[in-house]
Amino acid sequence: MSEISVENVSFFHGKGTPYEIKALDGVTLNIVPNTITGIIGHTGSGKSTLVELFNGILKPAEGRVLLDGADIWAKPKEIRNVRFRVGLVMQYPESQLFEETIRQDIAFGPRNMGLSEQEIEERVIEAAGFVGLGKDMLDKSPFDLSGGQKRRAAIAGIIAMRPDVLILDEPAAGLDPAGREAIFSNIMEYRKNSGSTVVIVSHSMEDMARYCDRVMVMSEGKLIMNGTRDEVFSKPERLAEAGLDIPQITKLMLLLRERGIEVDTGVYTSERAYEELIRLFKKDTAQSR
Amino acid sequence: MKNIALGQYYPAKSPLHRLDPRIKVLLALIYICAAAFCKNIIGFGVLLVSALLIVALGRIPFKTIFRSLTPVLFVMLFAVFFQVFFTKGDMLLFAWWKLQIYGEGLYLALFTIVRIFTLIIGTSMFLTYTTTPIELTYAIEDLLSPLKKLKVPVHDFAMMMTLALRFIPTLVEEADKIMTAQKARGADFSTGSLVQRAKALKPVLIPLIVSAMRHAVELAVAMECRCYHGDGTRMVVRKCRFSDIAALIVMIIFLAGIIYLNILGLVYTA
Ligand SMILES: Nc1ncnc2c1ncn2[C@@H]1O[C@H](COP(=O)(O)OP(=O)(O)O)[C@@H](O)[C@H]1O
Ligand SMILES: [Mg+2]
Repeated sequence: MSEISVENVSFFHGKGTPYEIKALDGVTLNIVPNTITGIIGHTGSGKSTLVELFNGILKPAEGRVLLDGADIWAKPKEIRNVRFRVGLVMQYPESQLFEETIRQDIAFGPRNMGLSEQEIEERVIEAAGFVGLGKDMLDKSPFDLSGGQKRRAAIAGIIAMRPDVLILDEPAAGLDPAGREAIFSNIMEYRKNSGSTVVIVSHSMEDMARYCDRVMVMSEGKLIMNGTRDEVFSKPERLAEAGLDIPQITKLMLLLRERGIEVDTGVYTSERAYEELIRLFKKDTAQSR
Repeated sequence: MKNIALGQYYPAKSPLHRLDPRIKVLLALIYICAAAFCKNIIGFGVLLVSALLIVALGRIPFKTIFRSLTPVLFVMLFAVFFQVFFTKGDMLLFAWWKLQIYGEGLYLALFTIVRIFTLIIGTSMFLTYTTTPIELTYAIEDLLSPLKKLKVPVHDFAMMMTLALRFIPTLVEEADKIMTAQKARGADFSTGSLVQRAKALKPVLIPLIVSAMRHAVELAVAMECRCYHGDGTRMVVRKCRFSDIAALIVMIIFLAGIIYLNILGLVYTA
């Protein structure tokens, strides 16, 4: 199982031009293997830049990116191997589809890995299955699919490389609620079957709360929170400071707390809120008796 | 990558940035004439000083200017080489085997360098560094508008230019994103034979063309929705100010001065 760690990394976009921007500023973190890690932050906080450093698309200006303890830039000629091990699904990945059929498009990654035709075919069918594209779809043109289907075909293109770590940059952006649901259940299914590490970038707190074991919060190029889901969501004030929309249900709990009701404000799902309110209600009735 | 697409416009607050773009086009044209007509040693000195002055007025760092000069360095060297070794004259400075170098050759080479240098500084300082491409097309449209009377479709050409310029950064950015996405799938754009590299571009070009077509259709629809039919007149955004006129007058005097120096003598001709 591969572990990604990042040591004191800074990155500049447009270095040496009048448009220079410091996108990352001294970020240190590691992605715990076998978990689903969520990276959350406001637009422009540096999430995409961060994940593009993970698989060697970008090279840090300062600091190191390690994969299983080895600097990924130690041998720049072999950076492709890092990209096969750390699969990155970019934002709006449907714009990368180019082949005549979905089958060929999903095969692009595995073919670049130099696998045998038989192995490629096997992986294509497996990956398409994970994202819910049946065998009958494989010979269609990617340009004939619906938006959600295109997105899933593009994700399959990365899954087919069987990466140790799968990173998805805003996988549900621009999809309708049913499409979002489908994408996330595909990802969960994939994770259960493959046991690989998954990183999801999002700016939706609700998604993070539902699917992630660990959460990292980015703000203005810095990592400001990093911990388990419970640890991070138990400090809603700090999330609000970073300009993030906290889950609706947490907002409700905060409002109750403001009115002097002793609720746990680290609640981020409606099920937990229900339990918490029932607990309070029982305590209340017991006291008043 | 993006900066190339922005036509090297260098955002800054300077007297040159503030000038009316139409005036800047005229200034560039007059300056080019001055550099081309100059035949006089003093004139070349004046040109060189004026070029440096213009750079200072535009508040562009010399490093940036120098970078834009490097592509033409080769052309300069080439010209210098020919002029030094193949000019025949009266002042023989150096002779060895079949090689003869004359003073005239050295002079010519020096003048060529100054001329190319000032031509590039002139056009890039007035037109690319301190004027955005969009301002430039508007300026050219305005300056050519008398041709509309002769039924030349100046407006249509200007609109086409504007749209093309508007979409270059978008397409460059998109090409960048698509390349990144394919790299993440192990595409390799930088090694292999020429044929292999050309083939490696297919996964970039096809999605890029698809998205360019989409942009074109969306833009056409959006323009039609706003009743664009290509015969409207654009509002004049700005009027010439005193400083614009003053700059133009200074430049005309400069050109007159250079020509006057030529007439005065001290003319160097090969
Ligand atoms: N290719 C690029 N060129 C220049 N600036 C960029 C580029 N990509 C991102 N940036 C800038 O870097 C910062 C971080 O961007 P990004 O990593 O995309 O944030 P996020 O994914 O969290 O929205 C932003 O200010 C953005 O404008
Ligand atoms: Mg992003």
